[in-house]
Amino acid sequence: MSAVRCIDLCKTYRQGDQDIKALDHVDMVITQGDLVCLSAPSGGGKTTLLNAIGGLDIPDSGEVWIADQRIDNLSKGALAALRLTQIGFVFQAYNLVPVLTARENVEFVMQVQGVPAGERGDKSQAILEEVGLAGLADRRPAEMSGGQQQRVAVARAIVSRPALVLADEPTANLDSRAADELMALFVELNEHRNTTFVIATHDQRVMAYAKRLIKMLDGRIVDDIEQHAA
Amino acid sequence: MNITLRLAWRNLWRQPRRTWLTIGAMVFSNALLVFVMSLQFGTYELMIDNTLKAFTGHYQVQAPRYKDDAKMRQVVPRAQQISSDIRRTTGLETVAVRSAAFALVSSEDRSYGIQVFGVDPVNEPGVSTIPGLVAEGRFPADYDAPEIVVGSVLARNLMVRPGDELTILGSGRDGSFAAAVATVVGIFDSGVSDMNRSIAEMPIGFFNDVFSMGDSAHAIVVMTPSLAVIEDYRSRLEAVVAGYDDVVLQDWDTLQPGLRQAIQADLSGAFFMYSVLVILVAFSVMNTQLMSVLERTHEFGIAMSLGLTPGRLGRLVILETSLMGVAGMLIGIVVGGLITIWFTYNGFSYPGMDQLAANFNLPSQFYPQVSALTLFAGPAVVFIGSIISALYPALRLHCLHPVEAMSAV
Amino acid sequence: MNDLKIIVTLAWRNLWRNHRRTLVMLSAIGIAAWAMIFMTSLIRGMVNEMLRDGIRSLPGHVQVHHSDFRDDPSVGNLVGMTSADIGTALADAGIERYSARIRVPAVISSERESRGVLLLGVDPEREVAIDAIGSSVAEGRTLESIDDNGVIIGRKLAKKLDTDIGKRIVLMSQDPDNEVADRGFRVVGLYEASLVAQEEAFVFAGRATIQRMLRIDDSVSEVAVVGEDYRVVAPLLTSVRAAIGGQDEVLPWMDIDRYLGTMMGVMDGFVLVWVIVIFLALSFGLVNTLVMAVFERVREIGLMLALGMRPASILGQIVVESLFLLALGLVIGNLFAYLSVIPLTDGIDISAVAEGMEMFGASSVLYPELELRDMTTANVVVLVLGLLASLSPAWRASRYEPVEAITKV
Repeated sequence: MSAVRCIDLCKTYRQGDQDIKALDHVDMVITQGDLVCLSAPSGGGKTTLLNAIGGLDIPDSGEVWIADQRIDNLSKGALAALRLTQIGFVFQAYNLVPVLTARENVEFVMQVQGVPAGERGDKSQAILEEVGLAGLADRRPAEMSGGQQQRVAVARAIVSRPALVLADEPTANLDSRAADELMALFVELNEHRNTTFVIATHDQRVMAYAKRLIKMLDGRIVDDIEQHAA
Repeated sequence: MNITLRLAWRNLWRQPRRTWLTIGAMVFSNALLVFVMSLQFGTYELMIDNTLKAFTGHYQVQAPRYKDDAKMRQVVPRAQQISSDIRRTTGLETVAVRSAAFALVSSEDRSYGIQVFGVDPVNEPGVSTIPGLVAEGRFPADYDAPEIVVGSVLARNLMVRPGDELTILGSGRDGSFAAAVATVVGIFDSGVSDMNRSIAEMPIGFFNDVFSMGDSAHAIVVMTPSLAVIEDYRSRLEAVVAGYDDVVLQDWDTLQPGLRQAIQADLSGAFFMYSVLVILVAFSVMNTQLMSVLERTHEFGIAMSLGLTPGRLGRLVILETSLMGVAGMLIGIVVGGLITIWFTYNGFSYPGMDQLAANFNLPSQFYPQVSALTLFAGPAVVFIGSIISALYPALRLHCLHPVEAMSAV
Repeated sequence: MNDLKIIVTLAWRNLWRNHRRTLVMLSAIGIAAWAMIFMTSLIRGMVNEMLRDGIRSLPGHVQVHHSDFRDDPSVGNLVGMTSADIGTALADAGIERYSARIRVPAVISSERESRGVLLLGVDPEREVAIDAIGSSVAEGRTLESIDDNGVIIGRKLAKKLDTDIGKRIVLMSQDPDNEVADRGFRVVGLYEASLVAQEEAFVFAGRATIQRMLRIDDSVSEVAVVGEDYRVVAPLLTSVRAAIGGQDEVLPWMDIDRYLGTMMGVMDGFVLVWVIVIFLALSFGLVNTLVMAVFERVREIGLMLALGMRPASILGQIVVESLFLLALGLVIGNLFAYLSVIPLTDGIDISAVAEGMEMFGASSVLYPELELRDMTTANVVVLVLGLLASLSPAWRASRYEPVEAITKV
C-alpha cells in the first residue's frame, strides 16, 4: 500500500483571460516512509500538487489516494478530519498562532483533535523536546527565530503521529543554517518514525536531502530521480 | 486549561483599542439602560401606587353599570353586610363603604356643582390618603355628624375656612329633593389640583340621611397590603361578590384604565428607543468582528489546512464576542448600578419635571431603585444582540477556502 | 484645487475598498439617523397636537382676566372693559383673532341628571376666528349669534345627562349679588373634543343671552387672543396689554397652563438628549471603523508621504472619507425617515391606550410631524460630532513618519 497515489490529475486556473494548466495529467505514487521533494520553478505546479495531496484543493479531474482511502471525492468535513489527524502541514511562513506560546500552539491542535486535557501537557512537552525546543516552550512566535518557529510548526504537524507530512517551501524564509537544521529534523523524523515527507521547494540545498526528487514543469512531471540523502 | 478560551481572550487584545471601543459601546448602552429602566419602572410602580392609594383603592364592589353611568340609583344594597363579609373572608381591615352624589354646594358667597362623597370616618383612612392629608382643621370623626371636608382649591373657590357652613343641594337616590347644611371641619391638599378642586367628603351616616341611601352605597373600596399581592385576594373577593345579586367586583385597572395605558404607551415608546440602542451596539460588534475576521484570513486559512473546520473557527469568533459581551455586560451593570444608586440617594429631577409629576401623582424629585429586572434585562438583551450580530461574520467563514485564504495578505 | 480633487477621489474610492465594512457602517448611521428623526417626529407630533389642543381649550395664545379671576373664577371677577370697547380697542391695534367670553361655573340639569360644568357665553363668529372648541359641531347646529337661545354641549356630557338635541336643559349659576341665576335652554348642537374631560365640562351659549341671565350688562370674564405662532408670543402679549390690559392680568398660554408650557420645553430638551444618546451609541462603532481604516493603510499612507504628499492632504483625505460616510448614511436615514412618515400622515390609531394618553393630555391618534428644526438638529449633531470624532485618527495618520509607516508589518 502506498502512502500517496495520484492518478491522472488535472487542474486549470483562469488568470485574466488565460487558462493556466497547474496540473496536466499528473500520475504519481509515493511509498510509505519516503522523503520526496517536489521541485519546480515558481508556478510550476508543485504547490497545487501538494494541495491536492493534502485535500486542500480538489483537482478538476483524476484521483487522489491517501493510504487506502480515496480523498478527492470526500466532503469538506471529512477532508478537514483527514488533515487534522492523518496529514501534517508545514507552510512557508506564519504557521503559528501569534498570540499562543509554542506549547500552546501544539496543545491547541491537540485540543481540536480531542486529546484529553490531562495528556496534552505531557505530550506537547515531549514533542517540543523531540524537535529540540524544550526550553522555548513558553515563548511566543514573535520571540523566536524563523528556524525555531518552523520547528514548532513541525512539532505541531507531527503531534498526532500522522503518516504523512506535507511541507510547502518550509525553508524559504530561513537562513542557510536554519534551513539545514530544519531539513536534518525532517530526515530524523523520517527515519525514526517512518513518516512520509513530501516537500515542495525550489531550494537546491533542500533537494539534496531528498531520497527522491520529482521535478515538475508547467504542471507535468518531467523527472523522477531516486537519490541518496546527503 | 482550555486553550480555545485562552486563544479567544488573547485574540481580543491583539487590537486593544478596537476591543475597548466595542466594549465601550456596550458599557455605554448598558449603563444607560440600567439607569433609565430603574427610573422608569420605579416611576410606574409609584404612579400606580400613589394614584390608587389616593382614592381609588385596589378593588371596588359596585353595581354592574355604575362604573360607566354613575347614576345615583345604581347602588350596592346591604353595603355594610357585604363589607363585613369581605373582612371576614379576606382578613383585611382596609375595607370601606363609600357613596357619591352630585350636589350644588354653596358658601355665603359662592356656589359650585361638585361630587360629594359619603365616607366612613373610621375606615376611609385605610383606603384613601385624603383623610391623612387634611392641611387645616380635621377629618370628620363621627359617623353621623353634619360635617364636611373640601379640597384646597374648592375651599378657595368657595371662599370658606374651617368653621364656615356650606349648603348642600341635590337629588336623593329616589329622585327626591336632598338638602342639608354642613360645617366645614377640614381642608385637604391631595397634591393633585383636580382632586383639590372637585372633591368634598362627609361622614356616610350623614350622607345616607341627606341623600336617602338607606343601607345601600355606591361602592365598597378594598385595599390590599401592597401592589405585589393584589392578585392573591381576587378569588376570595370574587367569591364573596358572587354570593350577592347585582354587584360586581371591579379591579383598579378597570376603574382607572388610563393608568395601565399610560404606562403601556410610555413602555412602547421606551421599548422603541431601547431597541435602537441595542441595534446600534449590535452593528458596532458586527463591524468589529468582521474586521477582526478579515485580518485573520491568512491565519484562518492555515488553521483550516491543519484540519480546523469553519464551524470551529466560527465558534471561536462567537466565543470572542461572548467574552467581550460579558465584559461589556458586567462593567455596564456596575457603572449603571453605581450611577443609579447615586441618584437613589441624591434624587433625580430635570427642569419641568415637577409640573409633569403633579399630573401623575408623583413627587417632584425621583429616587430610582435598582432591581433585578432593571439591572439585568437591558444588558442581557445587549449581550444577546451582540452574539446574534457576530453570527454574520462567523457564518461567512463557511465560504472560506483554505487555499484562497492563505494567499491573502 | 487639483489637490482637492485628488483628496476627494481617493477618499471616495478608499471608502469602498472594504465595501462590507462600509455597508455595515452606513446601515448603522442610517438606522441611527432614521431613529433620531422618526422618533422625534412621533413625539413632536404628539406634543404639538397636545399643545394645539391645549391652546384651543384654553383657548388662545394670550388671555386677559381680572387679576383675581384665576384664584376665584366666579362671576364677581370680570374684565374691566366691556365687550364693545374691547372690540374697538383690538380692532385699532390691528388684532383680529380674539374672542371676548363669559366663563362661569354652573350646574346643568337635564330631566334626570345634574352635573357641574363650565358655562361659556360666546360670540360664535369670534369663536371660529380663534378656532376654539365648540366652534364646530359634530351634530346639530352651531350657535348663530350672541343672542342665540340654544346651547352646545359635548357629546359625552349629553350621554351623561341622558339628553339629546332638541331636549331642554336648565343652566344654573350665580349673579354678582350671589343670587341664583338660572335659565332654560334647548340643546341645539353636540360637539366633540379630543379630551374627554373637556367634552364633559364645556357648555356654550350666546354671550348676550348669558350676560342677561347673569345680569352683568356687557361685561366678560376673559378675552382670548390668538396670534401667528404659539411659540412666539411676546409681541402679541405686548400689543394686547397695551390695547386692553388696563388693571387686568394679561398672560401668555404657558403661564396659564403650566403643564403645557413645561411640556414644550421638556420636549425640546428630550429631542436633543435623544439625538445625542443615539449618536454616542453610534460613535463607538464610527471611531472604530475610522481608526481601523487608517490602520490598515499605514503602509500606503507612508508611501504617499514618502512620495511627497503633504500631511495636511492625508488629514484631508481621512476627514473627507469620514464626511462621505456620514453624509451618505444621513441621506439614507433621512430618506427612510421621510418614507416612514408619509404613510402615517393619517395618524397612528392608539385608541387602545386612549385613557392613558388622556392622562398625558394627549389624543388617541398619533400624527408624526417632521419639523425642519428637529431634522436639522439630528443631521447637524451626527455630521459635526462625527467629523470631530474622525479628527483624531486623521491627525494621527498625517503624523506618520514615512519610513516607519512603510515598513510596518
